[in-house]
Amino acid sequence: MRTTIAMAGLLALMPLGLPPYAMTLLTEALIMGLFAMSLDLMVGYARLISFGHAAAYGLGAYTCGNILLHTEIPLPFAVLLSGVFSGFVSIGVAWVCTQATGVSFSMLTLAFGQLLYAVAFKWTDVTGASDGLAGIPRRPGPFGTTFFAGKLGFYYLTMACLFGGFLFARALVRSPFGAVLRGIRENEAKTLSLGYNTRLYKIAVVAASYMLGGMAGALYAPFAGFANTELLFWLLSGQALIMTIVGGTGTLVGPILGAAFFLLVQQQLSIYTDSWALFFGIIFIGFVLFAPEGIFGLARRRRPAESH
Amino acid sequence: MPGLHRRALLVSALASPVVLRHALGETPIKIGMPVALTGPAGEIGAQMRRGAEFWAKHTNAKGGLLGRPIELVIQDTGGDPAACVRKAQDVVERDGCRLLFGMTLSSEALAVVPKLAEWNAVFMSSDNGDGRLTGSSLVPNFFRANTSGPMGTRAVSLYLRQAQYKGFYAIGMDYAWGRNSIGVFKDEVQKAGKNFIGDVYSPIGTKDFSTYITKIRQSGADACFLVLQGDDNAAFLSQARQYRLPDKVQLLTEIVDLNSIAATGEASVGLIGSSRYSYTFPGAANAEFVEMWKKEYNTFPDTFEGEQWQAGLILAAGITKAGSIDADKLRPALENIEIDSIKGHVKIRACDHQGEQQGFMVKVVKKDGVAKPFPELIATFPADQVTPACGKMTYDS
Amino acid sequence: MDFLPFLVTQCLNALSQAALLFFLGCGLTLIFGIMRIVNFAHGAFFMLGAYVGWSAVRWTGNFWLALVAAPLLVGGFGAAFELGILRRLYGRDGHAFLMVTFGLTLIMGEAIRLLWGVEALQVQMPASLSDIVFILDEPFPIYRLFLIGSGIVVGLAIWQFLERTRLGLLIRATSQNAEMVHALGTDVRLVRSAVFGIGCGLAGIGGVFAAPMVTASLGMAPNAVIDTFVIVIIGGMGSFAGSMIGALLVAFVQVFGSYYFPDFAMAFMYLIMLTILVVRPGGLLGKEA
Repeated sequence: MRTTIAMAGLLALMPLGLPPYAMTLLTEALIMGLFAMSLDLMVGYARLISFGHAAAYGLGAYTCGNILLHTEIPLPFAVLLSGVFSGFVSIGVAWVCTQATGVSFSMLTLAFGQLLYAVAFKWTDVTGASDGLAGIPRRPGPFGTTFFAGKLGFYYLTMACLFGGFLFARALVRSPFGAVLRGIRENEAKTLSLGYNTRLYKIAVVAASYMLGGMAGALYAPFAGFANTELLFWLLSGQALIMTIVGGTGTLVGPILGAAFFLLVQQQLSIYTDSWALFFGIIFIGFVLFAPEGIFGLARRRRPAESH
Repeated sequence: MPGLHRRALLVSALASPVVLRHALGETPIKIGMPVALTGPAGEIGAQMRRGAEFWAKHTNAKGGLLGRPIELVIQDTGGDPAACVRKAQDVVERDGCRLLFGMTLSSEALAVVPKLAEWNAVFMSSDNGDGRLTGSSLVPNFFRANTSGPMGTRAVSLYLRQAQYKGFYAIGMDYAWGRNSIGVFKDEVQKAGKNFIGDVYSPIGTKDFSTYITKIRQSGADACFLVLQGDDNAAFLSQARQYRLPDKVQLLTEIVDLNSIAATGEASVGLIGSSRYSYTFPGAANAEFVEMWKKEYNTFPDTFEGEQWQAGLILAAGITKAGSIDADKLRPALENIEIDSIKGHVKIRACDHQGEQQGFMVKVVKKDGVAKPFPELIATFPADQVTPACGKMTYDS
Repeated sequence: MDFLPFLVTQCLNALSQAALLFFLGCGLTLIFGIMRIVNFAHGAFFMLGAYVGWSAVRWTGNFWLALVAAPLLVGGFGAAFELGILRRLYGRDGHAFLMVTFGLTLIMGEAIRLLWGVEALQVQMPASLSDIVFILDEPFPIYRLFLIGSGIVVGLAIWQFLERTRLGLLIRATSQNAEMVHALGTDVRLVRSAVFGIGCGLAGIGGVFAAPMVTASLGMAPNAVIDTFVIVIIGGMGSFAGSMIGALLVAFVQVFGSYYFPDFAMAFMYLIMLTILVVRPGGLLGKEA
């Protein structure tokens, strides 16, 4: 808990030292961090590898975008509502996907993700089709405050969502619920034989994962002022998975670091060279070969006394 | 691989702002340019970059603007609107750019323009076609130097009034520009009292057009309007030729550019379409530009290279007139500005910031003595017939 | 056009698309079936095949030579990659392959851009194939018929290879029980390299076949990957016959779907994939995963 508070304090002080463009990058890194962390709930703690997590992100983004464009609901509430809505919708998705296990489960998540993409691509009224929703405003409130609409306020809102999500996820995995998840991850048959309805647990963790992922997407929409179908494309799902793995699965913190790393490297590399994708690919392969436990694992290697 | 290394160095040297800054001693005028250098629109973005670099080099050689050198800050967006927003924000915040070029796809531009006011930055578009950018999505800091989608479509439809075709089909890429242009075309055909038989949209990145080609054949149309670009355009033209579609149906296109002619070779001969810029356009200004370009790059300038050059000229005229790059001074200076450009006379309208300019129709021909097929000018239409009324995308007559 | 010629033309269109999809699908399913590797880079190998084919035609002026040379080169590169990198990862869980092949896609995509440039490249069709033939009075390109024929020939060849040759037998055995094959004295690692090479080579030859029709371009890879995955998932990961059925299904749905319901064609395909997965989680002919 102490480390968490220390990190929160450090991040809270960032606006004092960093220039505006770095703050923009940091805000986006935190949003991505929340997204990757939400995936880790499924992947790291229940071994449910999803190739369709972009669906959560896109759902959250479009929901929030529409809420902000067409209603007067204040920004923070719009974000929360969109997250909850994503989680709710995912229950149906999870119910279908958990019919299968292993690779079939992953393929089903991919199918759902792409189906959502294909629908969004055509549903011009709600999604603006391939052009997306532009000019998404940051509505004032609650109580008429415009604090969250500004750069600084939005950054703190993002921070609050990330830490709130982290605390929630951590409480979840440390609870008896989390213990059952670990049981499912290690040996589902055995957990089933112990009398647990593993399918319900799986659906629940997917819903939690989608809720947090949806919240991340909901933060992105007012951040960029923009949402489009690329947010639902399988490439983003793949990137989320990469961020989670590079950061270190099953750690919650690792994926946040992974997301920040991914974004930072992509941004910096593309400034210096057109061939940034090449170096990016090499870095990944390097990670797999030499640092399989990810960034978190690397950090842990250096400080073995650290306990969480 | 020495060739690769040399090429990479050359590319980074060209893009390096250092080269341009040390030519003159003053603080440079920075122009941010988020543009698609990779992805399906990468070829178009590459043209825009070359056009901008050539213009910057040429302007700096004459002393720059307001005595200051021009510095381009070019970033790759991959043709992704979300990345474009990110890159645009980056060049504004990190590099302090107050002026913007680029944004290859209309969807990228539509995503960015709502933020121009917040950044206090002016964007001079050189290739965005979507009519809404000067219509429902217009923002004060947006200016369009180029021919828009509706204007290109209008040139085609004006040409058609004199032609013998009776039934029309249309195929377009399934996004903003495609749908917008076909919508305008349909309106025009019906106004001319001809038959608009139907339309179909192909997803961006479609590789196999066989089913669409069959549909066009089956429709009974004698002409088909194409709103395709980049790789999709090349694939469609190749396959249409393979199915002998042009023998039965005249293909009309909203954009003809040298790159698709090069990519499709013989398959593009006979194509008739609107051209936003071609090196074959008349006039002394264009001849001079083409000469300069050939000397530098040993090739003819393509559509978007020419459009970018024109955009540069207009921006330069506005900055010179305003005596500043500050948005509040630049905006009124650009409104109603007129220049004589490589496409003839161009005037930026105050009401919707669209550049009023002529419309051109070309036909791709193969002539003896010329190695490759090229676009030959077949019709020119005056600006007031081609440019729509203020803020509108359709035409009254 | 009357209905019958239209129907025949569309069916032939679908079959030619299915042939291309089949080249992609059978390679991927082979790799997955034997090595349990989800090869994200499969689309990149397809693209590489197209570009190498373009260069080969340029240098030798001979399309047929390119058809042979390109898959060998692409397959060779694939096998080399397996030897160098993938081989180290077999003890680890599936994540590693995912990351590595994703990384490879990025590297290959950019390398191709650096080597060949951004512009779409036109591959000259051999003169003997560039004409048309009239089927029920409607023109149809001979090249597409050639594609269909090639798909059938390659399909038969692979089937015979798997059934009749020693390597084919080893491959099938390894997919069932790698340890036993190893215990019986075969170097399973060589089998794996061969399979990865063959799978990539198949993707490569698909690229060469596709190039004269669609031009070699940088956008080929991402689109090919998702299409390939859909086919293989529908047909069943690891099932060779399944990849054929998957290819046919997807091609027909795409061709007729985009004709009658262009707005829903994309969604329809994913809906089918979903339905099949729910009813048979392993795909139509796959083993339960």
